[in-house]
Amino acid sequence: MNVFVKLGQDMVKLWSHYWVNYLRGMGSTLVLALVATAIGCVIGLVCGILNTIPYGPNDPAPKRFLLKLVRVIVRVYVEVFRGTPMVLQAVFIYYGLPYFTNSSVHWHSVWAAAILIVSINTGAYMAESVRGGIISIDPGQTEGAKAIGMNHFQTMVNVILPQALRNIMPQIGNNFIINVKDTSVMFIISFTEFFAFHRYITGVNNMYFPSAAIEMLGYLTVTLSASFLLRWLERRMDGADSYELVEGDPLVMTAGTYSHPDKGTPFDERSKEFRDRTSQDLKFGRTRGER
Amino acid sequence: MNEPILEVRHLSKSFGANVVLRDIDFTVAPGDVTTVIGPSGSGKSTLLRCINLLETPTSGEILFHGKNVADRGVNAAAYRSKVGMVFQSFNLFNNMTVLDNCTVGQRKVLKRDAETARRSAMRYLEQVGMAPYINAKPRQISGGQKQRVAIARALAMEPEVLLFDEPTSALDPEMVGEVLSVMRDLAQRGMTMIVVTHEMAFARDVSSHVVFMDGGVIAEEGTPQQLFEAPKNPRTQEFLSRFRSA
Repeated sequence: MNVFVKLGQDMVKLWSHYWVNYLRGMGSTLVLALVATAIGCVIGLVCGILNTIPYGPNDPAPKRFLLKLVRVIVRVYVEVFRGTPMVLQAVFIYYGLPYFTNSSVHWHSVWAAAILIVSINTGAYMAESVRGGIISIDPGQTEGAKAIGMNHFQTMVNVILPQALRNIMPQIGNNFIINVKDTSVMFIISFTEFFAFHRYITGVNNMYFPSAAIEMLGYLTVTLSASFLLRWLERRMDGADSYELVEGDPLVMTAGTYSHPDKGTPFDERSKEFRDRTSQDLKFGRTRGER
Repeated sequence: MNEPILEVRHLSKSFGANVVLRDIDFTVAPGDVTTVIGPSGSGKSTLLRCINLLETPTSGEILFHGKNVADRGVNAAAYRSKVGMVFQSFNLFNNMTVLDNCTVGQRKVLKRDAETARRSAMRYLEQVGMAPYINAKPRQISGGQKQRVAIARALAMEPEVLLFDEPTSALDPEMVGEVLSVMRDLAQRGMTMIVVTHEMAFARDVSSHVVFMDGGVIAEEGTPQQLFEAPKNPRTQEFLSRFRSA
């Protein structure tokens, strides 16, 4: 029991001392994860769409060749960036640029490098998710769209992608949460996110475990909030479970055949009393006597 | 006789070595209601899908106002916007409300403005009795209702020909009635239709021309009287006798 009290005290001490650093680190982590997930989704979307453009034996040869080439390129990209660790990709890209250009070109901003690395990594995963999302949509949806004369692009934008995107929402959430945690490997290119501050703080004192506990709580808070937000977003995308019937009023006459009673008469619908009464009737129903 | 709106000439379709349609010929004049009947697997649906270019014919011609649309380089999308199709499985867009289902084609393909599209959609939804349900999503309405919306969606494009691919096969008997009555109403208004169906009463009472298909070929065709009262082909007789006894 004493251990926990001690841990709590140490955590409070660390936090009161370094809370600015922790928060700044978490800020960087969040911004990096958000931006990179967003860009990664766009990359994935483009790759997924390019990968699912249909072609048949009747299409002209150049078109078929081009589409096949695109598929091969996307495939290589996905396999390479999905199949290697992000730490190494970071090293490769961050230190590779000066290496291959004989040190004439450097990364001026570690931010740009980090966003690029995490984005293309996320893009590789998302490309497959988007492809899966698109092919999971019933072919009947495509046929229905084609049957009313939509071309491939219109079908995609109006019918397939909205449904596919809804289906891959959990995947987008997955990737965001993975990115929040996995951006911690960006310390390798000296990007100072949440975990980097842990290394920095425990470098100047030896409260390794209390700091790790703070980090744990920090990551969990962010990822849990993200989960809840995503669930809420998904429910919003699903829309209401019920719908309202739009009943035509059989008593409404065709326009032009009805003249309003004169102002000042007890039947004047435009008077305030009449409008109030109508709205009350609609809200609460008529009283028993009037029915 | 009016100039034919649609002519199918020597149409064949095979999937690999499997020949599904063999040398199909028939003509549709404006206002015709052509029903295609026949046992399952006889190629009825494939024929309809070829006419709408959802399947590419292996050989033969499909002449729409005398122009072959099966040619390479023909804009299939533009042709399809003039030939509506109603599917067995409805194929309503699940991400849209009933109203949006009926307006999206008008807005995106016919480039109508939102208000014109809405008005036109409402007219057809009223015609099929689905106007109160404009805010519903497809998953919230019954099969018969979905099919009526699908018909309204096709009509909203103001097609010259409407193709029905077994529109009632996925419905229970009560819903079959509501969809068939909509189709009967359309036929009376002079809509040109090609209907693949197993509803023999509909074929007999509503159509002007009946095509009986068997094994990928047209085994017999003629007016409903000819086909239902005095079928010549023994295969037709056999097929129809089952329905008569039922």
